[in-house]
Amino acid sequence: MNSQATVSVVILSSNSVFLDATHLGEDSLTTQKKIWALVKQCKESNAFIDIVPAMNSLTVYLLNTEELSKWQTTLVSWWDEVDAQQHQGAHHKILTHYGGEYGPDLDFVADAHALSPKQVIELHSGAHYQVLFLGFQPGFVYLHGLTAQLHTPRRATPRTHVAKGSVAIGADQTGIYPADSPGGWHIIGHTDFTLFNCHANPPSVIQPGDTLQFVCLESAS
Amino acid sequence: MITVLKPGLLMTIQDKGRTGFRHLGVAQSGAIDSYAMTIANRLLDNDDNDAVIEITLGLAQLQFNCDTLIALIGTDMKAKLDDTPVYPGWTYTVKQGQTLTFAAARNGFRAYLAVKGGINCERVMNSRATDLTAGFGGTTGAALKENDTIPITPSSQNWPKLGALSPPKRRLIRIHPSIHTQLLGQSTLDDFCAKTWQVTPQSNRMGVRLQTSSNQLAHSHSLPSLAVIPGSIQLPPSGEPIVLLNDGQTTGGYPLLGGIISADLYHFAQLKPGDSINFSYVDLAAANAAQAKLDAHLQQLTIALRNKH
Repeated sequence: MNSQATVSVVILSSNSVFLDATHLGEDSLTTQKKIWALVKQCKESNAFIDIVPAMNSLTVYLLNTEELSKWQTTLVSWWDEVDAQQHQGAHHKILTHYGGEYGPDLDFVADAHALSPKQVIELHSGAHYQVLFLGFQPGFVYLHGLTAQLHTPRRATPRTHVAKGSVAIGADQTGIYPADSPGGWHIIGHTDFTLFNCHANPPSVIQPGDTLQFVCLESAS
Repeated sequence: MITVLKPGLLMTIQDKGRTGFRHLGVAQSGAIDSYAMTIANRLLDNDDNDAVIEITLGLAQLQFNCDTLIALIGTDMKAKLDDTPVYPGWTYTVKQGQTLTFAAARNGFRAYLAVKGGINCERVMNSRATDLTAGFGGTTGAALKENDTIPITPSSQNWPKLGALSPPKRRLIRIHPSIHTQLLGQSTLDDFCAKTWQVTPQSNRMGVRLQTSSNQLAHSHSLPSLAVIPGSIQLPPSGEPIVLLNDGQTTGGYPLLGGIISADLYHFAQLKPGDSINFSYVDLAAANAAQAKLDAHLQQLTIALRNKH
């Protein structure tokens, strides 16, 4: 409610400004929607090298270092004016094979919550997820919207190799591995959806502020 | 074309790196010492952003399959072109078939080899820099290996012998204030600056990890992920700071002790395990003055070279 009073915008370095909205008391998704709307406004200004939203925060890297104070002031006033509903992202359907060889940890997740594998699939694919921001590795999306019924502590021992396209659950998050990598999340399925292609423009079709859903192709379990 | 006979510890193709894609999780990559890279390119009248070869520690060997001109900048690895010593800071003409051999670096960690016209590999997201973590850029998306070939345009032109001085090393690294002063407490930040830190062997192009004796900086804070860049100094709960470098991730959830000022970041290219450094907070005016001094150094070089090329 009192966001105007508490958003903090500080100069981070000679060319960057950091907007911190993590302590506003609003729910984090409402705050994040304002971040996305702000990102859009920043893009339109053509004043930045990089515009990086993260969790309830935004960091902008300026083309012109002489405009630091100007942007510090501008971001504060934009925050006060911006409408959380202003941003409309794209919607993506992630066709997913659940269970079996595609999702070796589906049964584990089901057992952990006294659910059937089918119920896990229904809960996971029944939700609409918000893409909060991207980070960690190219094309990795931080999603909001995993039902509390599926929150599962990470594996005690991370796998040394998780295949590209693995759909997984780690603690209160669900996500998709954009490339082969080590990983500690529980793999419940697999998608052929390409999250990141360095030769495409843009290289990631999913952007912060988009929404997505997992669509169950078939259950191999 | 150049053939890699021995890549040494780590040899990659780099330019100034990628910008404009950090919101998609894409690291900057690029030469850790972009200042050395720029000097090397200017000595050859290349574009500042032409791709160069970053050599780590040495023990490497390259064979030239065409005539070219080279400039070598960075730490002294006792390089030899066939049997002739090649000194960092100078240009050399190279004949087809000659071999450039690097012994081990003693006082630093990285050297930069520029060739006339730059390295010709394809650009990925507007850059030729190798992103080792994500696996794209450079010629193969990976570190150079034995028998890899590096495309260059032959050049047989006469070139004057040109040299450039590199600025002295700094052991006291200047940093921007922490945005997490309240969270970490002023005494933690004071402690961080009071200590002398050693570079640990776990350091790489993603980050330099630091340790010190009687470390009091351990904590139990965790934060919502925020954007980080090369130069961000993260403080994980262990209390052992990590200075993120060019291959570092785009977001992270550790508190920040501050950020290296742009003028001092290139010093991290020459830090090797066991080296020690100190940190000191400076204000924005001091950071900008330091950058202006560095820019002036490059500008002087350009003026000096203008009538020589």
